[in-house]
Amino acid sequence: MFISLLKKELFIEFRSREVILSMLIFGLSIILAFAFTTNVSKIIVLNYAPGMFWIMILFVTTLGVHRSFTYEKNFDAFSLLISAPIDRGLIYLSKWISGTIFLTVMEIIIIIPFFKFLLLDLPSNFILFSVTSILINFAIMSVASLVAGISMRANLSEVLVPILFFPLVSPVIIAATKISSGVLSGDPYQLWQIWLLIIVSVIVIFPLAGYTLFDFITEE
Amino acid sequence: MQSFFYNKNNRLLLVLISSLLIFNIYNIISNTPMVPDQHWAQKIFYVHVPSAWVGFLSYLIVMIAGIMFFLKKNDYWDTVGLAAAEIGTLFITLVLITGPIWATPIWGKPWIWEPRLTTTFILFLIYIGYFMIRSFGGHVERVKRYAAAIGIIAFLDVPIIFVSVQFWAPEIQSHPQVEMANQPSGILFPFLISLCIFTLVYFLMLKFRIHVIQLKNKVIYNV
Repeated sequence: MFISLLKKELFIEFRSREVILSMLIFGLSIILAFAFTTNVSKIIVLNYAPGMFWIMILFVTTLGVHRSFTYEKNFDAFSLLISAPIDRGLIYLSKWISGTIFLTVMEIIIIIPFFKFLLLDLPSNFILFSVTSILINFAIMSVASLVAGISMRANLSEVLVPILFFPLVSPVIIAATKISSGVLSGDPYQLWQIWLLIIVSVIVIFPLAGYTLFDFITEE
Repeated sequence: MQSFFYNKNNRLLLVLISSLLIFNIYNIISNTPMVPDQHWAQKIFYVHVPSAWVGFLSYLIVMIAGIMFFLKKNDYWDTVGLAAAEIGTLFITLVLITGPIWATPIWGKPWIWEPRLTTTFILFLIYIGYFMIRSFGGHVERVKRYAAAIGIIAFLDVPIIFVSVQFWAPEIQSHPQVEMANQPSGILFPFLISLCIFTLVYFLMLKFRIHVIQLKNKVIYNV
């Protein structure tokens, strides 16, 4: 059933490209704003680049999850979905995994413009940067999907999602910035392994909480 | 439904706890030693730390009430959760006010990213979202479930936030009054007395607030 739900998410996105495209364009606009507001030396920008990258991802994620849950609201599709005889926790898991896939695709496209528009060189250890970023995407999306799932059917959901998401995701953002800084500056693994543990703990705790709570949250 | 203080036991509790609060203020001002370098600024510690304890206890109660609400499907637990969230946020606000007041003379600036203060601030922001969903969420029954879920995940996030903030800036000077067990008895005992009195005040406030919310629900929704 999980595979069917995941296929549904991917199929809708494949046909409409709403989520990835809106995330991508918004991400590019943020990079533009960063480029205009950080007209300083390359060393200073390089120091701030990991933070800027994850701030961009945070904004883009807010937009993406909101979009991903809003189209369920249209035509009351979500009510039909939860009336189906399925484990509702799987709906959360499918949103989490699909959201991570969309975010990763968006990152793959945007990573080169991000470094080039800020006049920086691409990371020398690109593979390590990508692998750690995918793990961080899982953590960010586990929180974002849960928050969006909670506030989706509430009034003012577009306001509630960022207000709840930003403070809840703060440990992930701290860890993400530290990991990316460590990877970019070529620090040994021992220096940033604690941050990886924090990311892994979020990847374990939030999906478990989301899977358990989603059944209660979506009750009619 | 009768007025809360119509009940003789509640009236007695109010008088007793108010007297204890006045005694606590007197005790802090006159019977606690002056700490070198901190002087009068240190006295706020007897209010700041118990407020933080009560705030976090209250948020723990929100989480427990949330779990119970999901398991028992009883509105009473939603009322307990809401009351605990309101009072918890009141005490957490006190922490965020008294923290900078204490920090200014000790650290020379009102705010540094000290792990406990930062965790408290992040939790405060999450609870602002909690009250927003309570106020503007729309459908009453759904909002109860959303609020219970937020109460649970907010408290689950606390240890992760604390650890990450602690590792984020380890060079930042930690709390000025750490190692409570090693404090001289002149500080430790008044502190423990203050902690107990604040906890008693909290439970009376919680009882009162639960009563008021139940009264409000009875008037508005007739449940």
